[in-house]
Amino acid sequence: MAMEKIARKIPASLWGRASEKLIDITLNSSNASKMPSDIAKTILYYWQRDQLATEVGLQRLLEASMIMEPDKAITLMEELGLPEIVVMLKETKR
Amino acid sequence: MVEFGIEFVPRDLYWKTTFYAIQAEKIGFDYLWITDHFNNRNVYVSLAIASAYTERIRFGPGVTNPYLVHPMVTAQAVATLNEIAPDRVVCGLGAGDRTTLQMVNLEQRKPLQTIRECVKIIREITAGKSVAMQGKIFKITGVKLNFKMATPIPVFIGAQGPKMLALAAEIGDGVLINASHPEDVKNAMKFIHKGLEKADKRLDDLTVSVYTSFSVASSYDKALKAVVPVVAYIVAGSPDIILERHKISVEVARMIREAIVHGRWKEAFSHVNANMVEAFSICGTPETCVDKIHKLLKVGINQMVSGSPIGPNMRKSINMIAAEVFPHFKELIGEEKND
Repeated sequence: MAMEKIARKIPASLWGRASEKLIDITLNSSNASKMPSDIAKTILYYWQRDQLATEVGLQRLLEASMIMEPDKAITLMEELGLPEIVVMLKETKR
Repeated sequence: MVEFGIEFVPRDLYWKTTFYAIQAEKIGFDYLWITDHFNNRNVYVSLAIASAYTERIRFGPGVTNPYLVHPMVTAQAVATLNEIAPDRVVCGLGAGDRTTLQMVNLEQRKPLQTIRECVKIIREITAGKSVAMQGKIFKITGVKLNFKMATPIPVFIGAQGPKMLALAAEIGDGVLINASHPEDVKNAMKFIHKGLEKADKRLDDLTVSVYTSFSVASSYDKALKAVVPVVAYIVAGSPDIILERHKISVEVARMIREAIVHGRWKEAFSHVNANMVEAFSICGTPETCVDKIHKLLKVGINQMVSGSPIGPNMRKSINMIAAEVFPHFKELIGEEKND
């Protein structure tokens, strides 16, 4: 629920960039084995349907990134100029 | 018309391989080949999940071998896949990699006879027939699948040496020429023609594929780093006749093989030189790769397989193929690749 709320706050103009970067974070993570199978399968489902750069796709990518590479995910949101999301993501880490 | 294939080694987590399979389909690859090595993830499990997330791309083991997997089991596996994705399954077979077989104390005995019998078994089993065979290698007494196949499965045979190339052309629906150098492919075509002649087949009856080791990156050095381990394996498994053609020392190849068998990877890879990379891979920037693919296509093949490692970063390299390689072959491939 928290991640759904966070994903909704990403402006549509940044969906493409955010999605691309989050995909890289997940695929290149050295913690890739931590990816929960249900999230992996949902990401594949959205990827097949070109829906990773949407609210629902971003939600799943954020969930995966926060499990595998939380610091990188937060840094990305900083780089995208989304301070409110940075705060929210840090909250989920606690 | 030329088709493009891509090969993945399922050493990555299943969801990564599947992600790349979806990506490969999206950019227009026609075939997905997944390798069968006992030390990686299982080929059929990997193919099954990839097939569930793709719609069009044809796929199969690339390649399995009858020394480790009995042809009856291979037939069962591809027949089951064919239920999941009718008309999309192909079966890639080969005599196995002698270095890998050596690791489990298996001898690559009578490879030609073994492949001939193996193809016969797979063909008949997947055609729903009961097979009774008293072959020189396989002895089977009246076995059949308990389920029916809707469509036939083309059998592709991986080959490198002259006799296996001829056999592949004679009995296969497709041949996967294990080569990356135009001279090797040109040479292979001579034996393919011999095999076709023996079976009274025409070249049009056969899909001639070149199964390359491929590495594309923004710089040669980046591409090189990724391809060296694969080239080491190829050198280790190549017949002497092919090594000699490329002026590669048979003794060095033996040293690489020994090092691999005993897990001394660093030592094995340290023997790989530029000559070996040139002989056994397509490696470099997109421009370099395009140039080499053009040379291969001129020989007369109709499927070009980009095999492992693809590049130092799989996702980036597949995107690079889409943006900077495929557009150079617009006139040879289907429209969808250019959209």
